[in-house]
Amino acid sequence: MTSPAHTPAVTDEWVTPIPKWAYAVALVALTVTWLVLQENGIALGHAAETVHEFFHDGRHALGVPCH
Amino acid sequence: MPTYKGLLLRGVGAGAVSGLLAGLVGVFVVEAPIRAALAVEQARPAEPGAGHDHGELFSRGTQVVGGVLAAVVVGVAVGALFATAYAGSRRWFASKAPFVRAVTLSAAVFGTAALLPAVKYPANPPAVGDPDTVEYRTVLYLGLIAAGLLVAFGASYLASRLGHLSQPVRCTAVALAVVAAVVVLLVAFPATPDAVPADMPGSVLWDFRLASLAETATLWLGLGVVFGLLVDPATRRARQVSAV
Repeated sequence: MTSPAHTPAVTDEWVTPIPKWAYAVALVALTVTWLVLQENGIALGHAAETVHEFFHDGRHALGVPCH
Repeated sequence: MPTYKGLLLRGVGAGAVSGLLAGLVGVFVVEAPIRAALAVEQARPAEPGAGHDHGELFSRGTQVVGGVLAAVVVGVAVGALFATAYAGSRRWFASKAPFVRAVTLSAAVFGTAALLPAVKYPANPPAVGDPDTVEYRTVLYLGLIAAGLLVAFGASYLASRLGHLSQPVRCTAVALAVVAAVVVLLVAFPATPDAVPADMPGSVLWDFRLASLAETATLWLGLGVVFGLLVDPATRRARQVSAV
C-alpha cells in the first residue's frame, strides 16, 4: 500500500482476507444507514421523529419510502 | 496486496467524498422540486390530527443541511460496505484492473439498489406518500433491492459457469438472463399502494424523480470512481510519472 507499486500488471493472485471484525463493521454500517434512512420509531421511540425530520430531505432525495 | 483495513479506509474516504457530492446534487438539483412539492402541501386545507409536521421541529434551512449530512453519513456507511464487498468479490470480474472492478461493482450496486427500485417504486417528493402505508412500502422497497442483489449475484455466477463460451456469446446470454429476471421481478412485485394525490403536478413529480435518480447515481457511481482511483496502483504510477 505504502510502497510504490512493484508489479507492472495487476495479477489475479491478490486475495484480501476479510477479518472477523469486518462483519462488525458491516453491521455498524447497516445500522447507521437504517437509522438515517428508515428508523420510524422501532429503536428510538419518540426521538425517531427528531432524527426523521432532520434527515427528511435526504430520505426523499435518496428515494427511500417516506410518509 | 491491499489489506482489508486499507480497503476499508479507502471505502470510507471514497464514501465521504461521493456522499458530499451527492449532497451537493441534493441542494442544487433536488431541493427545487422538494420546494415545489412543499408548496402544494402548504396549499392544502389543514387536517386536524393528520399533521405531518414539516418545518415545525426544524426549519427548512436545517433540513437542507440535514439532507446533505444524510448523504454524507450514508455515503460513509455504504463506502464501508462497498469495501467489504469489493474485498470479497475478487472472482466476480472479467477485468483484473482494480479501477474497472470498482466501477463495475458500483454500477451493479447502483442498478440494484437505486435504479431497480426507482423503476418499480419511484421516489416521491413530500406530500405524496400516505403515512399509513409507509411500512408496507418500505418492505416492498427493501425486498426488491434484496431480490435485485440476488439477480446481480446470480449473473456473476452464471458468467463464471459459461466460461466455455466466447465472450460476446457469454455476455449476450448473461444480459438476456438478467433482463428476463428483472422483468419477472418488476411484474411479480406488487404495485405501490399509494395513488399520487390529484393536486400534485405531474411535472413536479417527474422533476423530483429524475433529480433523485441523479443524486443516487452520484452517490453510487461516485463511490466506485473515487474508490477505484484510490485502490488502483496504476493511479499512483501515473502520478509519479507526471511528478517527475
